[in-house]
Amino acid sequence: MEQPTKSKKRLATAKELSAIIIEYYRECNQARIEGRPVGWMPPMNGAIEIFYAMGLQPVFPENWSPICAAFGLTPENFRVTEQMGYSQDLCGYLRNINGYVHGLMKQGGGPLGGLPEPDIIISPGAGCIPVMKIFHILEERFPDAKVFRADLPQVAVEDIQEDHLRYAVDEIRRLIDFLAETTGRRLDYDRLEEVVILSDRACELWDEIMAFRKSIPTPFSAAEIGIMFVMVTRQGTRTAVDYLTRVRDEVRERSRAGIGVIENERVRLFWDNIPPWFNMGLLNYFEGAGGVMVAETYSAAWSLRLNVKNPIEALAMKSLMSYPMVSCVSIKKRKEMVLRACRDYHIDGAILHSNKSCHPITLGQMDIKRALENELGIPSLVIDGDHMDERNFSLAQFQTRADAFMEMLLSKK
Amino acid sequence: MKAEMAAPFAEIVQNEQEYLTRIASQGKRMIGYFCTYTPLELIHAMGFLPVRITGSSRRAEKAYSLMPSFICPYMRGVLEKGLCGDYGFLSGIVQGYTCDAACGMVNIWEENIGGSLFYSLPLPYNDSPGSREFMRARLRDLAGKLESLGGRYSEEALNASVALYENIRTALLDLYDMRYRGALPLSAAAFLQVILAGFIASPEDYLRMIRELMSSLDRESDQQRGGVPLLVSGSIIENPRFFEIIEDRGGRVIADDLCTGYRGLQPPAGSGVDAMDALIDRFMKRFPCPSRIRAVERLPLLLDLLQASGARGVLFLLQKFCTPHLADHPMLYREMNARGIPSLEVEIEESLDVDGQFLTRIESFLEILR
Repeated sequence: MEQPTKSKKRLATAKELSAIIIEYYRECNQARIEGRPVGWMPPMNGAIEIFYAMGLQPVFPENWSPICAAFGLTPENFRVTEQMGYSQDLCGYLRNINGYVHGLMKQGGGPLGGLPEPDIIISPGAGCIPVMKIFHILEERFPDAKVFRADLPQVAVEDIQEDHLRYAVDEIRRLIDFLAETTGRRLDYDRLEEVVILSDRACELWDEIMAFRKSIPTPFSAAEIGIMFVMVTRQGTRTAVDYLTRVRDEVRERSRAGIGVIENERVRLFWDNIPPWFNMGLLNYFEGAGGVMVAETYSAAWSLRLNVKNPIEALAMKSLMSYPMVSCVSIKKRKEMVLRACRDYHIDGAILHSNKSCHPITLGQMDIKRALENELGIPSLVIDGDHMDERNFSLAQFQTRADAFMEMLLSKK
Repeated sequence: MKAEMAAPFAEIVQNEQEYLTRIASQGKRMIGYFCTYTPLELIHAMGFLPVRITGSSRRAEKAYSLMPSFICPYMRGVLEKGLCGDYGFLSGIVQGYTCDAACGMVNIWEENIGGSLFYSLPLPYNDSPGSREFMRARLRDLAGKLESLGGRYSEEALNASVALYENIRTALLDLYDMRYRGALPLSAAAFLQVILAGFIASPEDYLRMIRELMSSLDRESDQQRGGVPLLVSGSIIENPRFFEIIEDRGGRVIADDLCTGYRGLQPPAGSGVDAMDALIDRFMKRFPCPSRIRAVERLPLLLDLLQASGARGVLFLLQKFCTPHLADHPMLYREMNARGIPSLEVEIEESLDVDGQFLTRIESFLEILR
């Protein structure tokens, strides 16, 4: 039986990522030392740009979960959470961060210097229920932090209307006022414009990078998707733009030179849902039989452009769009996106990760599966798993089913 | 226990499909919903009958082909019934965005069962002039969608619907008051049937039935019912067997924090400059579902309920995989425990046979409370 592994990376720039991660968490802890206010917030919304524009430090507890998984801390965090009475049926992100803030963090431990305590908590009334509940838990754990109760409508991207946008714009303005009042720092709107331009540039680069995956062979695979770390934590900064530019250059070069992930790419695969952070090596598993994970759903969350002429509205729109694009708010839209990706990336087969830790992405997968079969003739394999909790995943079962799936796909070639 | 008093309600619940098919055959159009945060008054005012889609009474078979096993039994049952054609008479589904599963189910229903209108209403999490204005815009948008199905909006009709639902909720809350005083001669199982019928029956018929029930209760008068008084907290309870077991074993369900109960009734109405305003005001002041609010803010409400009702313990009767309730439970348990209030958590699985483990656990719990 193979043991959990880290993903195998081929891009030189993907290997640079660890330095960026280390630097980001160093900066987070340094902020605390320097007295720069630290705010904990959910990812995929416009608060990150406001924070960078105001010289505040954003921290993303959700992103901390993959870090904990990579460092093998998840079982201990789960143990702490379960001892507190939380059900194993709850999202692994919730169980991990709760365990961390009540366990290791209290002992002053954790990799990369750990997370600095928050001065501010941006507690969402938006997104999925587990994310909201995570922040309710954090509010309780850090009673001295100033809490901003954000409110964003969960609306399908295709149904966004003027009133949704107006409300989201008002919320962004309310956040700016709250931060000014809480930290004593004023937002420089010229600086915000610069940040939004950088953020949009990162999105543009992201789309460019993703487009190179259409090449046959693909220059990089889902195993390198850790590059989205800069989209989660560094959007609106020069760091993200510079890094993504380097990734784009490398990917472009590999694409032009016809360098693939493996020597003989025979089957192109698509991954739906959040990857299993505790065993990212699974994304390389198919390579032995000539299969490459060419694309995935999750990267779509950053595939949107920002109207730099109206930064506040752009951030409101970004906040409205990111979550619905990768959830069940509109299965119609997600199906359309997956079909388009599978068409554009010349996909032969899809792996649908039925993810116990993420109901919003898992719901609707069967409709996507049927559409892939009926409209594109693309077969899918559903695997049962969990993006955080390896107890909900059977490696042996995965291998058996993945092998059979690959055999079937190869027989069609 | 006067179970026969609840018989007309139980009959509607047990013959839900025949009842609704008959109404549909008379030309009445219906809109389905899952959650009590749906603006029933608006749907009703525009000429549709809002029908809460039930599910837990059906064992899932077909549903597994469309949804994973880790979604709550209620939603699995809902989908099963939809796929079996039980709700063929619905024109569509309107649903306030409360939990992720319900939001996904609106989509899955649209993809696989079909209908003319599928509408997820984003509900504000904050109460502010801006959030009220936003909600008003959304309700107007929904009204527009209902108009496209042939519905007709008028302020007068909405006023009348707001008043009608207020009367229903007020009457039901009167029954709750009687229950707190030990003066409601209905078992919890029978009372649940009274509540469940309200999700199916036309509100006009339902109000009449509740009033008839109340007048018969007045005539019967009552002596105190015995048993250890309990508060039951959770989401949807459709199977009266849970309550039968509790009361057979010497407990008494005296209060609840259920969306098949008190949570959907309080307050009976809101206030405002017009009916839409009143609808929004009520939504903002609702006795909250955990999907909408923090556990720390639910706690004092539950403590108040305990005090008002005289309940001596809390039974958390939760749908398995229900994130909002499961995420709140440890904090509520801890705080109740710190105050010397015993509580027990039981998760509802799909099985229709609830007797086994539930019976053993409830017996032990009641033993502690005696």
